[in-house]
Amino acid sequence: MSLEGKLALVTGSGRGIGRAIALKFASQGADIVVNFFRHRESAEQTARDVEALGVKAEVIRANVGDAAKIDELFDMIGNKFGRLDILINNAASGVGRPIADIDVKAWEWTMDINVRACLLCAQKAAKLMEGRGGKIVSISSLGSRFVLPNYTVVGVSKAALEALTRYLAIELAPRGICVNAIAASAVETEALKFYFKEGLVKDSRQVTPAGRMVIPEDVANVVAFLCSEEAFMIRGQTVVIDGGTSVGVFALAGKQE
Amino acid sequence: MNIEEQIKDILARITRVDKSIITRQSTFKEIKADSLDVVQALVAVEETFGIEIPDEEAQKFQNFGDFVTYVENKVAQGQKV
Repeated sequence: MSLEGKLALVTGSGRGIGRAIALKFASQGADIVVNFFRHRESAEQTARDVEALGVKAEVIRANVGDAAKIDELFDMIGNKFGRLDILINNAASGVGRPIADIDVKAWEWTMDINVRACLLCAQKAAKLMEGRGGKIVSISSLGSRFVLPNYTVVGVSKAALEALTRYLAIELAPRGICVNAIAASAVETEALKFYFKEGLVKDSRQVTPAGRMVIPEDVANVVAFLCSEEAFMIRGQTVVIDGGTSVGVFALAGKQE
Repeated sequence: MNIEEQIKDILARITRVDKSIITRQSTFKEIKADSLDVVQALVAVEETFGIEIPDEEAQKFQNFGDFVTYVENKVAQGQKV
């Protein structure tokens, strides 16, 4: 699959899943806009690694939780490139708390970054995709449909993101834009180490039929497929990447014998 | 108002603590700032002073004084985002 000549914006692509997606696209020939908010060094490293694959990288800082910063991000892309072919809504944040401790600030912070940003980015991206079509893929998580400890706000935000994906898919279809999402189980990233430390996620290898945890490259492979012409007829779907965990009984029954 | 006072105002507004309890020796925990409060304070300070404070640097702050010193140095350097 080739993405030669395409331009992809991957939000939050300094680290983890976003970085893996950026590198996958770059390996297929796409130029990459590397967006970050809090980790400049990581973003610049991703950009260097993208460029080492022979394509262009543009690093743009923007807090996607801030609508004005999204405007600036897309103004910069519009002014510099005048177009966009792929948007990956990957940037995410969240506050891990029991329901009793969720306050308005935590709710709005999470929703603004995990859901509102995806709507605003899709609106802006659709304009830059005008007349050329495009692909939008958002990164959800299994917390959208399964209950994880202290994951309420993020889980609800991801459920909303998956609903948004369906609405975007239908409304943007006449404009030649394919919209989908992926939902992964726990992915081995720096962010996951935090969740391990906080006791929010346990080692899931033993309850994963595929025998190992999901790695960022697993996600990048599926996202790249969804952004290919081969996936043209997949619209508004959330593809689960979990090594079979959610369809097996192993998670309920404990270790697989 | 000097930089220290402006940052105190920002932190007090976000954490809703009395500004008078914040000293250079105060840890974020003592100011009752959780991780979200700290990120929001960093963002507010960045916008107020037109600087960038990467997480890699912010994670080194042991107390309020470290935060203030970092911002003072950045502002003195005239660093812009």
